[in-house]
Amino acid sequence: MMSGEWVRIWRRFAAMLVKEFKQLGRDRVLLAFILYAFTLDVFLAASGVSLSLSSAVTWVQDFDHSAASRELVGRFQAPYFKVARDFDADRDGQAALDSGTAMILLSLPQGFGRDLAQGRGAELAMQVDTTNSVLGFLAVSHGEQIAARFGIESELARRGASARDEAALPGVDNAMRVWFNPNQNDSWFMGISEMLNIATVFSVLLPAAALVREKERGTVEQLMVSPLSPFGILFPKVVAMTCVIVAGIAVTLFLVLIPLFSIPVKGSLLLFFAASMLYVFTTAGLGLFAATVSQNLAQAGMLSILILSPMLFLSGAWTPAEAMPDWLRWLMYASPLHYYLDIAFGILLKGQGAADLALPLTEMGGIGVLVLALGLSLFRRQFA
Amino acid sequence: MDAPLLTVRDFGKRYGGSDAVCGLSLDIARGELFGLIGPDGAGKSSFMKAVAGVLRFDAGRVQVFGTDIASDTGAESVKSRLGLMPQGLGQNLYGSLSVEENIDFFARLRMVPRDQAERRKHDLLAVTRLAPFAQRPMRQLSGGMKQKLGLACTLIHAPDLIILDEPTTGVDPVSRRDFWGILGDLMESEGLTALVSTAYLDEASRFTRLCLLHQGRALATGTPDEILARAPGAVVQCRVVPQLEAQQRLAPHFPHCEAMGQTLRLFVEGLDREAAGAAVRESLNGLDIETLDTMAPELEDVFLALLGGERAATLPPGQANTPSADEPDAILAQGLTRTFGEFVAVADVSFKVRPGEIFGLLGANGAGKTTAIKMLTGILPPSGGSGSVAGADMRHAGALIKSRIGYMSQAFSLYLDLTVRENIRLYAGLYGLGRQDGDERMRWIIGMAGLAGHEDELAASLPMGLRQRLALGCALVHRPRVLFLDEPTSGVDPLGRRVFWDILFSLSRVDGVAMLVTTHFMSEAEHCDRLALMFAGRIVADASPQELKRQVVAEAGELYQVTTADARGLGKALAASGFPGASPCGRDLRLLSRDGAALAAAVSAHEAGARVETRPIGMEDVFVHLVSRLEAEHGGAA
Repeated sequence: MMSGEWVRIWRRFAAMLVKEFKQLGRDRVLLAFILYAFTLDVFLAASGVSLSLSSAVTWVQDFDHSAASRELVGRFQAPYFKVARDFDADRDGQAALDSGTAMILLSLPQGFGRDLAQGRGAELAMQVDTTNSVLGFLAVSHGEQIAARFGIESELARRGASARDEAALPGVDNAMRVWFNPNQNDSWFMGISEMLNIATVFSVLLPAAALVREKERGTVEQLMVSPLSPFGILFPKVVAMTCVIVAGIAVTLFLVLIPLFSIPVKGSLLLFFAASMLYVFTTAGLGLFAATVSQNLAQAGMLSILILSPMLFLSGAWTPAEAMPDWLRWLMYASPLHYYLDIAFGILLKGQGAADLALPLTEMGGIGVLVLALGLSLFRRQFA
Repeated sequence: MDAPLLTVRDFGKRYGGSDAVCGLSLDIARGELFGLIGPDGAGKSSFMKAVAGVLRFDAGRVQVFGTDIASDTGAESVKSRLGLMPQGLGQNLYGSLSVEENIDFFARLRMVPRDQAERRKHDLLAVTRLAPFAQRPMRQLSGGMKQKLGLACTLIHAPDLIILDEPTTGVDPVSRRDFWGILGDLMESEGLTALVSTAYLDEASRFTRLCLLHQGRALATGTPDEILARAPGAVVQCRVVPQLEAQQRLAPHFPHCEAMGQTLRLFVEGLDREAAGAAVRESLNGLDIETLDTMAPELEDVFLALLGGERAATLPPGQANTPSADEPDAILAQGLTRTFGEFVAVADVSFKVRPGEIFGLLGANGAGKTTAIKMLTGILPPSGGSGSVAGADMRHAGALIKSRIGYMSQAFSLYLDLTVRENIRLYAGLYGLGRQDGDERMRWIIGMAGLAGHEDELAASLPMGLRQRLALGCALVHRPRVLFLDEPTSGVDPLGRRVFWDILFSLSRVDGVAMLVTTHFMSEAEHCDRLALMFAGRIVADASPQELKRQVVAEAGELYQVTTADARGLGKALAASGFPGASPCGRDLRLLSRDGAALAAAVSAHEAGARVETRPIGMEDVFVHLVSRLEAEHGGAA
């Protein structure tokens, strides 16, 4: 008796799973979208998006026209800066900043070279458009470094000291070691985090779409009067979507990130895929929640976006948790994506193993199971 | 006679490579109520949208008020004199706006001057009897009220021609009759012309003229009488024991023979009533004929005859399988009650369905049918009472019930993006069938439903009739003993409907499957062995269709048809002299009366030339009579 019931449960599951795969396979538009997101989109993010200062348009007002002023301006170099133009009128410079034609305005006052030569110290005005706060911050710190360096060197030169003398000066030598991404290659970070974001988007959207479509067409009614339990309806859906998304992650990793961006896989791929599967499977609960609450595909889509955007922003991909206000940090600790990011970077770049990641794995699994249970119970309540 | 208001010649509309409408020609004169009748997909909506100037067409000429609307400017110039109400309950209305706000919105959209709009709104709310609900949001209205509001919004700018696309679909019979009455009043008082489509053939007699549309072509156009004359013949309705053998004997001789509950109904082409009766008696020689009546054919008979109604699927031969008396009831409900908080959705409902019986559950929207079905199918546990379905207790064996019943819902609820074979395989899997068993049932379903040759087509590409039979097949994949059917043939053409009921009949009589059917379609109700009528959560009548008709005739008298030149005036005069409830039917009136002589006297007192004759009472008359009486008793009319 017992084994007969298990056979039937297995047959139901298999029938539903096959159905889900076939339906997804026939939805050409959705398939194309999935394929695009896991390949081209990640590629674009990894190759295009960079958080470093690059070719910042810099206008220079050199009122001094001395060797020193030219020397200093000459140090604002590519790839960070692109010195566009030498001109004198104050108003033009301000206008260029206002209109966004220039990002940086450097002003060297008359007597800059003379003051330096007499050892009096000189002034340089650097105005930066920090509309984009990250780039503005980088420009300012680069500018500070250049100016400070130039100041030391010109003072040493005035005192007749050579480069060797400078090296002999006692000081603190900052011996930096850059770990896990020795070239500080943005494309590693951007590529991986985009891959994880895409996985998150689909793990909410796909189950939501699959479920709400059944509601729209009235097929769910037919399923409810069959021997399937609510769990029996949802479980195969989530399993099917998990398979698709994990396959998508594999495509990204093996066809985009490893061959094109040389991402080193330091840790165990098996662990990475197991963690991804756990993450995608449990995050589906949010999609089920969206589908249960909404009446049609449009509503479910909008609700998913509403759920997704704080998840993505609060994941830690853009800002570390430590930089956030306290209350937001707690919200962030509630997002499973936060842990998934830690785990994925840990495995792929740092080579961490299951033992190192035990805590985030437990946390992600715990939150995920809660989310999934919530989605399931909502669905069950709607149709009971 | 005036020039026609609408002239259509050789109209054609194509979608992709296939013709939606082809070669349609018709004229509609001022003041006519013109009906466009056909099943889903016959091309009704395409034609109506084109006439309203919101859809381009591919061939032919359409003149509205004498203006050619092939060009966009032509179409725009007539739009101010047109009103279009699209298909779907409240489809053109805004759910969150109140009744009044909806009308105001349409008035502003149509740029009706403010004082004029107020006056018309007042009048229309009075005629449609929506005034008490003026502040209620549209989405909280019943289906019938939504359609009345839709009509009011369509009429706010006082158009000359209104185009109503299936205004009565999904509306219960009482509200439907109410809608037709209001439309008639408005057409009379405003001098309107109306082009109305419907999928219900039994509504055909309400039109002054009509066009039967089938697969984009006009089968017949004319007044109901003209169309009836196209296929002369007679209908024979008989009760013969044993029914199955009688049907198997009659079917080869009479192509239009179908089982209606315990009786058989035949349309005998070309013979008058007497000769038809004799011919049927002869074929039944040796069987026990309990009753045999003859009557004039209905439009549905003519429609089928015009289609050249060859049977698409032949009945599988089979031995009648009369269930023995000691077999337990297929469905047994005893005092079933379900409450939602304070609200009592179903109250003390008791009935039983024997194996092999077709049981119909009727009732207006909100009468509690859906809740009752949910309890019977094991989705919703009852709050009180008890019952069993297919031998499983409803109170705690919901899962067991689900595995033993088949369920087919009104909307096609299979997967359109799966093929026929994949759908069947899915349901075989859901009911836990193994591969071998599943393959066997697949062959049976494909044979039963006539799906051979379509196995690998997507369900989306099947015509409605085949889809419906596929859905039936999937509901039967696990050989259930009890089958639930929710408006099983809505949207299916008459031919498909007949084939479908043939299959159901054979399932019940040969295989002994018990069926519970819920429907708004009175023609479906006629097929049931027994009918129960639900009202306000209770069962208020439970008998065979014939018995119900007898009860109503005993209670309210015979159905009379009054042929008159002035239906409206006569209707009012009759109501004044004690004969209320006359319902307009084309140019005629129909009403129930216990005193035929007094009725005839009252009619001739008003109009000497009017003719009064009796008609066989239909299920719709029964339903409307019973529900109207109950509504009056409960003091609540909606």
